[in-house]
Amino acid sequence: MKHVMKLLFAGVVAVVFAVSTQTAKAVDTIKIGLIEPLSGRIAAVGKDALDAFTFAADQINKKGGVLGGIQLEIIGLDNAMNAEKTTEQLKKAVDQGLSYVIQGIGSNHAGNIIKFIDKHNKRNPGKEMVFLNHSAVTTAFTNELCSFWHFRFDANVDQKVAALVTQINRDSSIKKVYMLNQNYAYGKSFQSAAQRLLAERAPNVEIVGNELIQPFGKVQDFTPYIAKIKASGADTVLTGNWGPDMIRFVKGAVSSGLDTQFYTIYGGLTSSIGGYGSDAKAVNLKQVTEMHENHDGMPDDVHEYIAGYLAKYSDTWYADRQRWLIYMLAAAIDKAGTAAPIPVAKALEGMTFDGPLGQVTMRADDHQLQMPLVVSSITEKAPKSVKYKGNDFGVAFSTDGVADLAATTLPTTCEMKRP
Amino acid sequence: MEVFLFSMFNGVLYGMLLFMLASGLTLIFSLMGVLNFAHASFFMLGAYFAYQISKYVGFWPALVFAPLLVGVVGAAVERYGLRPVHRFGHVAELLFTFGLAFVMEEVIQMIWGKVPVPYDVPAALNFAAFTWRGLDYSAYRLFMLVVSVGIFVALFLFIAKTRVGLMIQAALSHPQMVQSLGHDVPTIFMWTFGFGCALAGIAGVIGGNVLGTEPAMAITLGPIVFVVIVIGGLGSLWGALIAALFIGIMDNMAISYDIALFPIFAMFGVEREAEGIMRDLVDLTTGGIAPVLPYLLLVLMLIFRPRGLFGTRDV
Repeated sequence: MKHVMKLLFAGVVAVVFAVSTQTAKAVDTIKIGLIEPLSGRIAAVGKDALDAFTFAADQINKKGGVLGGIQLEIIGLDNAMNAEKTTEQLKKAVDQGLSYVIQGIGSNHAGNIIKFIDKHNKRNPGKEMVFLNHSAVTTAFTNELCSFWHFRFDANVDQKVAALVTQINRDSSIKKVYMLNQNYAYGKSFQSAAQRLLAERAPNVEIVGNELIQPFGKVQDFTPYIAKIKASGADTVLTGNWGPDMIRFVKGAVSSGLDTQFYTIYGGLTSSIGGYGSDAKAVNLKQVTEMHENHDGMPDDVHEYIAGYLAKYSDTWYADRQRWLIYMLAAAIDKAGTAAPIPVAKALEGMTFDGPLGQVTMRADDHQLQMPLVVSSITEKAPKSVKYKGNDFGVAFSTDGVADLAATTLPTTCEMKRP
Repeated sequence: MEVFLFSMFNGVLYGMLLFMLASGLTLIFSLMGVLNFAHASFFMLGAYFAYQISKYVGFWPALVFAPLLVGVVGAAVERYGLRPVHRFGHVAELLFTFGLAFVMEEVIQMIWGKVPVPYDVPAALNFAAFTWRGLDYSAYRLFMLVVSVGIFVALFLFIAKTRVGLMIQAALSHPQMVQSLGHDVPTIFMWTFGFGCALAGIAGVIGGNVLGTEPAMAITLGPIVFVVIVIGGLGSLWGALIAALFIGIMDNMAISYDIALFPIFAMFGVEREAEGIMRDLVDLTTGGIAPVLPYLLLVLMLIFRPRGLFGTRDV
């Protein structure tokens, strides 16, 4: 009898223990680190990213989370746009036992994260980390520098330039293109991709100028450049400029009455549109993105998502890839049946997702998301104008053309080493 | 020849904007011996004030009130910030203004946010005054030129003809003597500092809508203003004018002519098919290094003539 009681007691204890760990697991969360500048000069961009990812994770959590009830939690880790602090925050992420790190602002930091995680994963088997890159576009990360632990959800520079060049080739009025880019890794990769792809895909277009400028606001006055563009007879400017280098360029061009078109990657960033002021209405500017609010034929869930985000943060939803990243990660965790990084990384390879312009695929060869892109023009006549922190800029984008997967899929030189 | 004239004209436009900033800085230095590291921040403050004021009552009141406000802020900074620090010497003052630049940037970000604000050129001046080589020159650019020339003339007359101006001149060469003659030096200091800041404020009002009004505008323009006053000679108004014009014109010429620098490197044995670090030198042109040229000039100036073109004291 005593024995029976003992056994019974042990059984009860075991059951209670099992149940309690089960419930503990049920309310458990998967923590995801977001390393971005949350202080300093470009903290606004970092905070926008934190809002965007938190919102995306909230949507997953509202639908019941992953693995039947586990919640996703985004943890902001401030790198102040500084290389040492990026490493510091990575170490912090290791200490906290995070398996997933998101970053995207600044390819130099992304490059450091790839190196750090490669080394870390080699030395700490069983404690691997995966890097989910939402915006760092240096093409090399999915070519010669590719890593199994890195997944890029943004189109790289070459894909974006391919979309721009495809659109340029559709416009037969474009004869002469002037290229002006920032003199650092990104600007140079834009320049070389544009030269190569223009020659391949738009052989009738002549490059009449090819300029590299000192980047990050060092050029105060763009008038001499604008005079050169005018003198070259260019009808179109192709530029990867962003930030003050884009704003001053546009303001200078408008005040000088330069009537060329601007084909850009980042000309439509919300912060830049604010900087153009009333010149946004005068400039003939185009951008390439994975979607924009006024694009026709996007699925209803995308529109619902955009409306939800606007209601919560009073910002126009800009980088839909940030939603894809979280949704695909959640799907990969469910598919793998575990939140352990290696199975999830393997589940992400080749995973597809229904994006706003059609299906996107995480290519297993190089971990570069393959996606259609849309080229759009800034206009006052767009039905829904761009809003940011309660400001309505009175302009928005309307579609010129879509570059489908065939146009944006480019070969890779990646030789992936898998664990 | 046309390219030359064009570069001269644009260079003068840009140079005069630099001069407006540098004049206040050099004035403050000449009287107080303080190198105001926060000077470009007052330029930024002028732009933001002008944006805020012009939002409600238009550009013209902003042109008057924004610099006045900046001047008052500047005077207050001198009275309650710089003056207590003064007795610890120039290094303490320098460090104070250095810190002030960061504080002002943060405060501006707190009030107006971290993204650029839409501060526009006034509609009344936003038309093409004339067209040259296919490019429009807006009336606003000419207006900028007129304002900056006007400021130079007014400043020159002020310093040469007025009593306060004479004191400033005296302080330039014999700062201790002016003090011993019993002038209320602290008050002169306060108003000179405020006045110098107001000059930066004017530059902000008329430059902010052309260059873009954003929290990083001070950091990107600040160093070049120092280059102007060091090349011109610390404390020299004429020097600041000549150096500002020179830098403006040099910048434009370097970009417009865009001369390849390869022949120069070739003299040092760099080959056309160079590899590695030399690879970048081969393709270098004057246009590519235009924003760096003033700093190169600064280094040369410090080596060969540390007091600058018209300076009376060594740096």
